[in-house]
Amino acid sequence: MRIKGFAKHYYLMLLPGYLWLFVFSIIPMFGIVIAFQYFNPGKGVFGSDWAGLEHFRYMFLLKDTREVFVNTLVIAVMKIIANLLVPLVFALMLNELRITIMKRWIQTIVYLPHFLSWVILGGIILDLFSYNGPVNQLGAALGFEPVLFFAKAELFPFLVVGSDVWKEFGFNTIIYLAALTGINPALYEAASMDGAGRWRNLWHITLPGIRTTAVLLAVLSLGNVLNAGFDQIFNLYNPLVYSTGDIIDTWVYRTGLLNLQYELATAVGLLKSVVGFILISVSYYLAYRLINYRIF
Amino acid sequence: MKRNVTGAMAFTMAAVLVLGACSNTNTPENNNTAGTNTGGTNHNNNASSEPADPFGAYEEPVTISIGMQVDPTDKSLPSGDTPLDNQYTRQIKEALNIDVEHAFTASAANMRQKISLAIASNDLPDAVVVNAMEMRQMVEADQLADLTQIYEDYASPEIKGILDSTGGTALDTVTFDGKIMAIPGVQADADGVHLLWIRQDWLDEVGLEAPKNMGELEEVARAFVEQDPDGNGQDDTIGLSGPQSGDGKMYANFLESKNNLYGFDAIFSAYDAYPGFWIEGEDGQPVYGSILPETKGALAGLRNLYAQGLIDPEMAVREASDELVINGKSGMFIAPWWMGYGPLTNAVKNNPEANWQAYALPLNEEGEFSPHTATPSTEFVVVRKGYEHPEVAMKMLNNLYKNEMENTFDPSKGGPGYYPLRVVFAPSDEIEFTNIAIKEFLSGEKTMDDFADVKGYKLLNSDLENIKSIKQEPYDQWGISTWTPDANWGAWTRSYSLMVGGNPIVETDMQEVPSLIYEQTPLMESRWVNLKKMEDEMFLKIVMGAAPVDSFDQFVEDWKRQGGEQITQEVAQALQP
Repeated sequence: MRIKGFAKHYYLMLLPGYLWLFVFSIIPMFGIVIAFQYFNPGKGVFGSDWAGLEHFRYMFLLKDTREVFVNTLVIAVMKIIANLLVPLVFALMLNELRITIMKRWIQTIVYLPHFLSWVILGGIILDLFSYNGPVNQLGAALGFEPVLFFAKAELFPFLVVGSDVWKEFGFNTIIYLAALTGINPALYEAASMDGAGRWRNLWHITLPGIRTTAVLLAVLSLGNVLNAGFDQIFNLYNPLVYSTGDIIDTWVYRTGLLNLQYELATAVGLLKSVVGFILISVSYYLAYRLINYRIF
Repeated sequence: MKRNVTGAMAFTMAAVLVLGACSNTNTPENNNTAGTNTGGTNHNNNASSEPADPFGAYEEPVTISIGMQVDPTDKSLPSGDTPLDNQYTRQIKEALNIDVEHAFTASAANMRQKISLAIASNDLPDAVVVNAMEMRQMVEADQLADLTQIYEDYASPEIKGILDSTGGTALDTVTFDGKIMAIPGVQADADGVHLLWIRQDWLDEVGLEAPKNMGELEEVARAFVEQDPDGNGQDDTIGLSGPQSGDGKMYANFLESKNNLYGFDAIFSAYDAYPGFWIEGEDGQPVYGSILPETKGALAGLRNLYAQGLIDPEMAVREASDELVINGKSGMFIAPWWMGYGPLTNAVKNNPEANWQAYALPLNEEGEFSPHTATPSTEFVVVRKGYEHPEVAMKMLNNLYKNEMENTFDPSKGGPGYYPLRVVFAPSDEIEFTNIAIKEFLSGEKTMDDFADVKGYKLLNSDLENIKSIKQEPYDQWGISTWTPDANWGAWTRSYSLMVGGNPIVETDMQEVPSLIYEQTPLMESRWVNLKKMEDEMFLKIVMGAAPVDSFDQFVEDWKRQGGEQITQEVAQALQP
């Protein structure tokens, strides 16, 4: 009995979270019906005429649809991989530093950009890479012709991924550092006794020690496989890089909210959810089969 | 109960004294429900009642809740005043007994999104200023009040006169199924003519004339880029400015047919190309200008300029194109007459020698200047269906125009944009007429008294009063050294625009090319956005060298296949009498 009462408090504490989820994630789901309607805001969701699958047919006819899906996947997958590897390597390097004060300083400085919004960083990055910006000046000093970076469609995904990693790697490093401190120092001492060098330590103690954390982060980040980062791309892109930089979210925003094509935008949004759901299920299953990891 | 009675009385009095007869379905029972249900939008003028009064004040205060565009960086309001409490709102309260409230405010950049959300959530403010696409969307969603009778009964004769002066175009735009669903603003024709603005002092420096044709334009741009016209010893000057990222456009189009800054409109027309406009094809049928060979030629020409570095290399990526003009790095840009209100005030404040002059150039091969021209109405006041006093909006517009004519408001105590529901009502030839009037006044041919009877040109009087404080002799030359802007920057901004920007319009015999249609056809609503995106992307790529010129042909094919062909037929049908 006592345990039951104890558990009640915990459920009570969960309530606001559930409420939030219900109001902001479950209820809006009913808006999906707009994709099957000729949506008329005056008549609302309940009064509009049904369109069947017409909007979906048009959606598959559009070259844009495939393009934005491919762009989203490419950018998101690159981001996931880079955001797993770079912080991991950086955390390992930081962990080898012996001077504590220096370690702290570096740690603080590299995670600062995480706290700036993309509205600000977008402007800074556009300036850095502008025609007369520092990057091109440096290039000119080395004898390169100036390049208008953000007008080059083939460079755009890399600039996006690069700037995202630069912004976030410091913050992600913290999690790995926390995992690293959890490794029992006795293991290292024992290994040293047995004559293991730094590389041996790294390979046989450090990496296995943080494997669970790394896998957890990887699986969790798979939930973002169709989120390529609206606010970042929205602040960096322009029509010249639509072909490689326009992602589902920016496209839906322009189509639905700026151009008032609610139905088409909802249809694409729905497709994103369906594809996203499948991808996440598959990757979760893979994580379970390959390394026996489960969340539920 | 007491409240109910007061409300009922208020309503009855208002109905009798001000509204004229309210709807003919107005039963006594309706009257008893008081205030809130006043017969909606169905205002029929009943012969037995008093006529509607366009300027009269309400007996009881009436509240209107509007969506309003507010510039967050604007500092023109005196301290203590707010967007809800300033000279304009106080005047409205005093003259009409109307209380203005804000349903929402948004900056220019967010206004469109705010209105879209209001439409989508079916939660409109009582009245708001919208663009043509939003108006159409609202009409289709059946969200708007029918203003046919309101316009008949309440529009002031002056406003009716201005709307009629467009030859019916203005009212046609807002008429759906024979009903007037919005009150259109009317802007001067000159807003749709895009001129070439040049740094005259740079031209003199490099010893060239204003470019008559594309060949000369290339020469001038090259001289501006290579010969260091600003004399600072650095290779940092730009020949011709280009559109900025985000809202920048290479050319105005039939939906946004005027006021395109830093585009290439004048260059396209020098190639006889009218991208974005619906013009008559060789067979007499309507055709979309963007898919014609002339447009391909113009794009190839622009590509050539860009490749040589004569156009701003950062066009379409640069965040604010006006910076180049303001800080004296650009030698040419293309924009309408009103650039004094645009970047030139700051440009001249930065460098009093920056002598920006406007030309109706470059000319096409026949030696003509043949600009595309605009529809007079691009902004519309709409009223929410079900709002109790739809005539309030019309009365506020009457009041606006009357007071602008009488010069009641002082722009230095809050810019004109703070007037709630402001749209421009300008006679279509305002710029040309004022330009000529000022010249006649300066040369002594006419005096202020000769213009005393001229009605409708709302700022003419103050223009004439101020001109001699800022314009010095010789009165037939317009270089920056003949102006003394420090005496009165406000007046200089307007007069410099009117004279330097107005001169080429007055003095040039232009071959105007209007669009056959300035609004969307039904199929465009679902297809146009994607066609337009394809066009914008492709044309930018061609000009900036990211795609070969011949990809234009592929674009034309794709455009036709993805709905362009059907839309062209729709346009042809819409034009059938």
